[in-house]
Amino acid sequence: MSGETFMGVPREKIDWSPRIDYNKCNDCMECVKFCPHKVYEVREEGGQRLVVKNPENCVVFCRACGKACGVDAISFPNKSETTAHIKQVRKEMEANE
Amino acid sequence: MSKEYAILPCNGLDKCAGCAAGELAIRLSEETGSEIICPVFYRVADTRYNRIAKEKPLLVIDGCASRCASKLAAEKGLKIVKKVNISEEAKSAGIALKTDSLRLGETEKLLIGNLADRLKTEEDTAESGQETSFFPAQLTYDTYQKDKFMFRIPEEEAFFFNENDVWAYVSGGKARIGVTDYVQQSLSDIMFFTAPNVGAEISQFDEVGSLESGKAVFEIVSPVSGTVTRVNEDLLNEPERINQNPYEQGWIAEIELADFEEDKGLLYDFNGYFPIMKRKVDEFHV
Ligand code: SF4
Ligand code: SF4
Repeated sequence: MSGETFMGVPREKIDWSPRIDYNKCNDCMECVKFCPHKVYEVREEGGQRLVVKNPENCVVFCRACGKACGVDAISFPNKSETTAHIKQVRKEMEANE
Repeated sequence: MSKEYAILPCNGLDKCAGCAAGELAIRLSEETGSEIICPVFYRVADTRYNRIAKEKPLLVIDGCASRCASKLAAEKGLKIVKKVNISEEAKSAGIALKTDSLRLGETEKLLIGNLADRLKTEEDTAESGQETSFFPAQLTYDTYQKDKFMFRIPEEEAFFFNENDVWAYVSGGKARIGVTDYVQQSLSDIMFFTAPNVGAEISQFDEVGSLESGKAVFEIVSPVSGTVTRVNEDLLNEPERINQNPYEQGWIAEIELADFEEDKGLLYDFNGYFPIMKRKVDEFHV
């Protein structure tokens, strides 16, 4: 899904996606089952099994899979900073028009 | 007077939270006239348990985020009146449940005791308040249809939407919020509504409660910032109102606005949201 925007801002300019604490993660894959947006990928080979493959597919401000994780291994960026950043980018885009 | 429940606990014997859920169920049955539904036996023989669940208000005790007990209740078509999740309660009490042993320690027992005391005395839900006239009596909708599913969106100008499929109806310094048909259809039968606290100060994109169905949990992402002044208490007993109409009888809460001019910059009107919802329906709805 390249070329996507969120509130008019190109998605790749917004840093919002789940962060996995691999010290806590037990590979139960509940988060993968939960999210319909193909953000996660399960690797069959090599070290880490769970990877955040497509961070830009993650819906900005969604934190839903975090609740599906029984061991609380998923966190998200700071919401107010992200909001401020989006506003900032929009201002810049307006100025460049 | 202490309350009597039909209790459907998680009984995950391989996790401390599951054992704690079972223990809480036992405490309540000893201390009140509550009856326990065995989740394992319920799967194979349900007549007796269905009767208990009809006679008494149903309390569901989940151990962890897998919510097996809630899912079982959904599968059996039971109406959940109250719900606790041991892992979440432990987290909000600042307690770390054991990971090295399944035997309950002192901390776990203390948590269970506190929960039992709370559940014994807690009122079900308060009476719903009187209707206000700030919200229109009738709405006009535009609809998008996909297979047998209808997705309505109100056309009134005072409606705003965020990309997380939550709407706000804004009038005179106040907003009423709720979810759109997209959320309701994707979750299908909504079984449980967790309300935000009245008086809570919310900033834009904070969580204002959550919805839960057999399929998933949906965190309601607030489209506006301000103070929660009222919640739709009818939803606590009848969350299915959200499936019936998430814009009218299924609204979520009312918020005294802090700075709507600022919030508005990150919201869509009807014309902006309609194509976004259509795209989501085409991409994800099955
Ligand atoms: S936050 Fe939402 S969209 Fe992002 S990965 Fe989790 S469930 Fe998927
Ligand atoms: S739900 Fe949590 S523990 Fe399970 S795979 Fe995802 S991050 Fe890991």
